[in-house]
Amino acid sequence: MCAGAGVPSVEGMDSLLSFHAVRKVYGDGPGAVRALDGVTVTVPRGGFTAVMGPSGSGKSTFMNVAAGLDDVSAGEVHLAGRPLHQLDDRARTVLRREQVGFVFQSFNLVPTLDVLENVLLPFELAARRLSTEERAWVDHLIEVLGLADRVGHRPGELSGGQQQRVAIARALAARPAVVLADEPTGNLDTRSSREVLGLLRTAAREYGQTIVMVSHDPVAASYADRVLVLADGRLVGDHDAMTPQQIAELLISFEEGAA
Amino acid sequence: MKSALVLGARRELGTVAVVAGLCGAYAGALLVASDVLKVNSDQAGDISAVGVVLGVVASVFIAVAVYVSAVVIVNGVDTVIAGRLRQIALLRLLGADAGSLRGAVVRGTTGVAAAGVTGGVLTGVLVGDLTRVVLVHADRLPDGDYPVIPVLVGPAAVVVTIAAAGASWVGSRAVLRATPAEALSGASVPSPEPPRSSSLRRRLAAGLVGTGALVLGGAAALGESGTALGFLAAAAGAMVSGTGLLVGARLVVPRLVAWTSRLLGSDPPSTVAARNAVRDPGRTTRSTMGLVIGVTLVTTFAAGFAALRSSADSWDGMTAGQAAQTDDILRHTSTVMICLVVVSSVIAAVGFVSTMSLGVIHRTREIGLLRALGFTAGQVRTMITKESVALSATAVVFGMALGLAYGALGAQALVGFRTDGFVWGVPGPMLVGVAVAGVLLVLAASWVPSSRAVAVSPVVALRADG
Repeated sequence: MCAGAGVPSVEGMDSLLSFHAVRKVYGDGPGAVRALDGVTVTVPRGGFTAVMGPSGSGKSTFMNVAAGLDDVSAGEVHLAGRPLHQLDDRARTVLRREQVGFVFQSFNLVPTLDVLENVLLPFELAARRLSTEERAWVDHLIEVLGLADRVGHRPGELSGGQQQRVAIARALAARPAVVLADEPTGNLDTRSSREVLGLLRTAAREYGQTIVMVSHDPVAASYADRVLVLADGRLVGDHDAMTPQQIAELLISFEEGAA
Repeated sequence: MKSALVLGARRELGTVAVVAGLCGAYAGALLVASDVLKVNSDQAGDISAVGVVLGVVASVFIAVAVYVSAVVIVNGVDTVIAGRLRQIALLRLLGADAGSLRGAVVRGTTGVAAAGVTGGVLTGVLVGDLTRVVLVHADRLPDGDYPVIPVLVGPAAVVVTIAAAGASWVGSRAVLRATPAEALSGASVPSPEPPRSSSLRRRLAAGLVGTGALVLGGAAALGESGTALGFLAAAAGAMVSGTGLLVGARLVVPRLVAWTSRLLGSDPPSTVAARNAVRDPGRTTRSTMGLVIGVTLVTTFAAGFAALRSSADSWDGMTAGQAAQTDDILRHTSTVMICLVVVSSVIAAVGFVSTMSLGVIHRTREIGLLRALGFTAGQVRTMITKESVALSATAVVFGMALGLAYGALGAQALVGFRTDGFVWGVPGPMLVGVAVAGVLLVLAASWVPSSRAVAVSPVVALRADG
C-alpha cells in the first residue's frame, strides 16, 4: 500500500509516534472527505500532548490512525518503532494490545467484567502473569484513583467519573508505550473532568507516561505540555503549554481565518 | 409506525413470523393427518374412542409446539427491546407514554405472527392434503371422505396468534423500564435489573418437581403389576415434574450454563463469553429451555421406544416372526413419534439462532471496545462461538438426561411386568444425532453473527449507537 516498505523509521529513536505525510480519505469521487491531509508530526517519548481542533478537523481520525484502528490512505505511521501502515489487522491488534492504552469519551469498560477484571484485561489479553512489581503497581493505581472499595463492582454500578477512573487505571496498568485519550472528559461534570485531567497530567509527569489526548476543550488542553492544532485535516499549530484563554483565542483565530 | 420505532427493522420481527409459520404449518399438517386416521378408523368400524384419542394427542403435540413458540417469541421481543432501550427512552422523552409504546409492540408482533401463522397453516394443510392424495392414488391409503380443510385449523391458528400476542406482552415488559431521562444521560452501560423475589417460585418448583418425581416413581412400581394405571400415572408425573422444571428453570438454568461455560477456559474470550451467556438470566433461561424442551421430547420418545424394544426382545412366548414384527412396529412408531416432536426442537433452534444474532448486533459497540483493547478478530469469533456452546451444550445435555429418565420410566410403567427389573434403553444413534444437531446449531448460531461482528471496523463499532 505504501512506498518505502522495509525502510526503518526516518525519525530518531526517541520518536514514539510519528506521522509522515499521512492522508486519510473517506469515500471517493466528489463526495470524498479528507479527514487527514498530509499530516507530519512526531511525538517523543514522555510528555502529555493535546490534539485540538474544531469538530470535523480530523482529531478523531488522527487518534484512530495513531492507534492502528484505521488504515491510512497514504503516508507512514510509526508507533513504538513499528510501521503501522504496513501491518495487517492481526499484527496491529497485537501491537495495540501491547503498546497502547485507551481512554474513550464513553463506553470504556466491558460491562460484564468487574472493575478489577477490566483493569487487568490488558494483562489477560497478552496472556501475561503479573509480576509482584506489576501487581503492586496495579494496587497502587487502584488506591490512588480511589477505586479500592469498588474493585468487585460492575461498570453499571459506577458513576461516569468512576468509570473514567477505571478506564485510566486500565490504560496505565500495563505501562503501555502511549495512552491515547479521546475526549476523556466529554461526558463528565466539571469536578470529575478536572480530576481526570489532573490524573492524566500526574501520570505523564510522575510516571513518565506518554499521553496523547484528543479534545476540543481548551481547558482540557491546558493541562498538556504541548498543544497540536488540526484544522480541515491539516496540522496548523504546534505549541508549548498554554493557558485555556490562549488556546481558546488560538482556536477562534483559526475559525475566523477559515471564514 | 410506533411499533417500527420500538421494534425496528422487519428482520428483527422475522423470527416471530418464521416461528408462528412453523407452528401453523405443523398444526395444519398434524390436523390433516389426524383427520385421515380418524376417517380410516371410522370406516373400519371402530366405535372406540380412537377419534377422541387422536384429537387429544394432536392437541397435546400442537400445544407443546405453541408453548415453545411462545417462549421463543418472548425472547425475541425481549432481545429486540433490550437493544433499543435508548431509542425507546428518546420516544418517551418526546412524549410517548410507556403503555401505548408497549401496546404498539404487542400489536406489531401479533400482526406479524397472524400473517406467519396463516401462511404456515395453509402450507401445512396443502402439503398434508397433497400427501394424502398421492398416498390414496398409490393405494397406500383407502379412498375415503376426507375433509380438505380440518375443522380445527381455524381454532389452532387463533390459539397460535393469541399465544404470540401474550408472548409479546410478556417480552415487552422492558419498555416500561426505559425512563425518558436515560435518553439524556450519557450512561451507556445499562443499570442492572433489580433482583426479583423468587422464594415463591422456588417453593412452587420444588413442590411440583418433588410431586412429579414421586408419581413417576409410583408409576414405575405400578408397571411391575401390569395395570394400565401405571402409564397414565407416568404421563401425569412427567407433566407435573415438567411443569415444575419450567417454573424453576430460571433458578437452575443460569447456574448450569455458568458451570458449563467454566469448562470452556479462563482466557479473556472465554471469560467474556461466559459472562455474556448469563448476562440476562431471563433470556439465558428462555433460549436454553426452548432447546431443552425440544431435546427432552425427542430423547424421551427415542429412549422410551429403545426401552420397549429391548424389553420386547426378552418377552417369552413369541415366535421369531412375532418378535421381528413387534420390533418392526415399535421401530416405525418410534420414527413417526420422533418426527412429530422434532418440530418443537426446530422452532427452539430458530429462536436460538435469532437470539444469538440479535444479541451480537446489540453488542456491536462492546465488541468494538474489545477490538480496540486488543481482542483479535479470531478471539471475537471464539468468544461468540463459546457463548453459543455454553448455552446449547447445557440445553442438549440437560434435555438428554431428562429424556432418558422420562423415556425409561414411561416404558417401565407400560411394560415393567413383562420384564425382570427396570426397563431401560439407550437410543445410541438418536443421541449421536441430537449431539450432531447441537454442534450444527452452535455453528449456525455463531458463524453469521461473528462474521458480521468482525467485519465492522472497531472505529465504526465504537461510534455505534447503543
